[in-house]
Amino acid sequence: MFKPKEMSRAIIVGHKDVMEDTVNALHDINTFHIENFEEDDSGFKIGRSFQNAGDLSHKLVKLRSISSFLGLKPQEQNKQNVEDLLKDLDSKLLELENVVAEKNSHKNRLENQSKELETLKKDIIPFSGFSLDLGLYRGYKNITVITGSVKEDVTVAVAEVTQSYEIEQDLEIGTVVLFIRNEDRDKVLKVLSNFKFQELRVPDVDGIPNSLLANIEMEESEINTEIVSLEAEITKLKEKYSEFILASEEILSIESEKSEAPLRIATSEQTFVIDGWIPDDHYELLANTVDNATNGRGFVSKQEVTKEETNIIPIEYDNPKVSKPLEAIMDLYARPRYTEIDPTFLIFITFPLFYGLMLGDLGYASTLLLIALGLKKYVKIEALKPFFNVMIYCQIVSLVFGVLYGEIFGFSLASMHTAHGITAGLIPGFETIELFHSPIGNEVITFPVHRTHLAMTMLALSVVIGVIHINIGYLLGFINENRNHGIVSAMFEKGSWVIIEIAIGLLVLGYLEYIPMAAGIVVFLIGFIMLVKGEGIAGPLELPTLLSNTLSYTRLAAVGLSSVYIASTVNLLAFERIMPDEFGIMTIFALIVFFIGHLINTILSIVAPGLHSLRLQYVEFFTKFYEGGGRKYNPFGYIRKYTEE
Amino acid sequence: MVGEEMMMMDPSGLKAIGAGLAVGLAGIGSGLGEKDIGAAAVGAMTEKEEMFGKGLIMTVIPESIVIFGLVVALLIS
Repeated sequence: MFKPKEMSRAIIVGHKDVMEDTVNALHDINTFHIENFEEDDSGFKIGRSFQNAGDLSHKLVKLRSISSFLGLKPQEQNKQNVEDLLKDLDSKLLELENVVAEKNSHKNRLENQSKELETLKKDIIPFSGFSLDLGLYRGYKNITVITGSVKEDVTVAVAEVTQSYEIEQDLEIGTVVLFIRNEDRDKVLKVLSNFKFQELRVPDVDGIPNSLLANIEMEESEINTEIVSLEAEITKLKEKYSEFILASEEILSIESEKSEAPLRIATSEQTFVIDGWIPDDHYELLANTVDNATNGRGFVSKQEVTKEETNIIPIEYDNPKVSKPLEAIMDLYARPRYTEIDPTFLIFITFPLFYGLMLGDLGYASTLLLIALGLKKYVKIEALKPFFNVMIYCQIVSLVFGVLYGEIFGFSLASMHTAHGITAGLIPGFETIELFHSPIGNEVITFPVHRTHLAMTMLALSVVIGVIHINIGYLLGFINENRNHGIVSAMFEKGSWVIIEIAIGLLVLGYLEYIPMAAGIVVFLIGFIMLVKGEGIAGPLELPTLLSNTLSYTRLAAVGLSSVYIASTVNLLAFERIMPDEFGIMTIFALIVFFIGHLINTILSIVAPGLHSLRLQYVEFFTKFYEGGGRKYNPFGYIRKYTEE
Repeated sequence: MVGEEMMMMDPSGLKAIGAGLAVGLAGIGSGLGEKDIGAAAVGAMTEKEEMFGKGLIMTVIPESIVIFGLVVALLIS
């Protein structure tokens, strides 16, 4: 539970004839982590991928492009039999490829047509003001036709340079059409250039512009309906083939992974050597599997792991199922090293505990619990699942603290008698019970705990929790150090901190005149010298962190209190300042303020306690013992989702 | 008279101002500290996603300041 799974280094050796069988068998058991072979001067070479590798990856690429054309997403479906699937995979793939290619080219054709029509339309529009057949704009021997856009009336200016002309001008669209004699062309163009004239090309079609436009629009709408029906067909195709595509993509991925495995393996002329890691409890399985698959021609042997090699051992967590989701939180920081304590289970306890201690409100906790359950049910992203589970754990603890604090959306459930009078609670007749006097700040501990009236006690309590948490950290650091570098080093590096803590305790007692100050000073000096010896000059420089780390835990009380204050401010605003005595527009306004205020505070209730709880783990706790940086255990194999053998 | 008016000022008001200043100024301090670290952390994360944990830690280190401010505010009021 507190350390990663034990791993052995295993070497599989055999004749090349049985390499493929061995690789297949290894892939099936999905538990052997292959150490990639790098060529050196040992004489071994990187293997060649199996014959079918090219074919497989070619098919895989095809299938993936089809899948992306159809817009396929992972889904839940019945598992398909591998043999059945493989039998007609090629023919079905070919069939699918043809259908998809046809649809694809059809779609492209339609889209191109639509684009062409759009361009033609743009070209015709400038001439839509004239009811002149577009065919009449060209094909003259002695007449030049000038078409273009101008903003102003050019009739007068043109009349000044030539007498024989025909002009049509549409000032609304800004188009001019001029029929002139060929020899006048340059003169007229010169005049026109004063009017910001820009030449327009007459589209190469015949017909009256307006009726042409009407035709184009009709054609366009036809194409659009065709595209819509084509898309419906594609959707149908997607529904029909989705099971096949997902399942065969899985098979092809598996097969291509297998066929490319030799690229990670060392081979000589006749033999192969696979180097890798296997969890201890699977070693027998590995040996038997290889033996069976190769009829005794492949050999598995366990290798001694040297001290340097412990750093490259792949790390697989070994936690009970209930604390597994927290591994995601660990991975955000770093995987443990092989020789380190794996603190996942401790995080499993303290992370939700700190979260609940801070939030502790029945209203927010139950809202967030429902959201987390909903997300867990409807969001199908595997990587996010652990985080939803962590959120659920946090909310359950928050509910417990919510009962302890007697709070719901910042309202108090129980009524309370104070020196300033009675504060009514939400549940009539539920009275706050006074339990005993807190040793701090003249406060009275009650049930339910009214956090706002117990600020001092809560702050002190959170510091105590901090001291305990930090010392667990030092203890774990001590164990780690003892395991890796021996007891002496552990005493100097981690034990010294505990001695300094004891010294501070003694100094406080000395200050209060229970014991002589000298005792504290002597112990402190011993701790200080040990620290300098253990951690060097950096040790004393870090001494102040003892104070700041401990005080940092006051956030357990402070963040919680700030959340309560925000909630009760929202309630105060909504129900006492805005809410009128009689129903009216302000009643609705008050409800809106109430709703939005609590919505914001709900969102803050994930972010604030979540981040602060995480931070206490990462910064205050982990720095005492945790190094991290282990490699991820990534076994050679595949977890089948859509197929079965 | 100015002096008399000063005498009549409600001390709880001054306490509230003090508490407000404690949280507010500490918040500004935290923000100033975090802004650069946060930007650098996001930059590091885009380069290397595994930096999230370390980036988060670095970013929230100045966060303690505002918590201390909040604690001081609670102690005052």
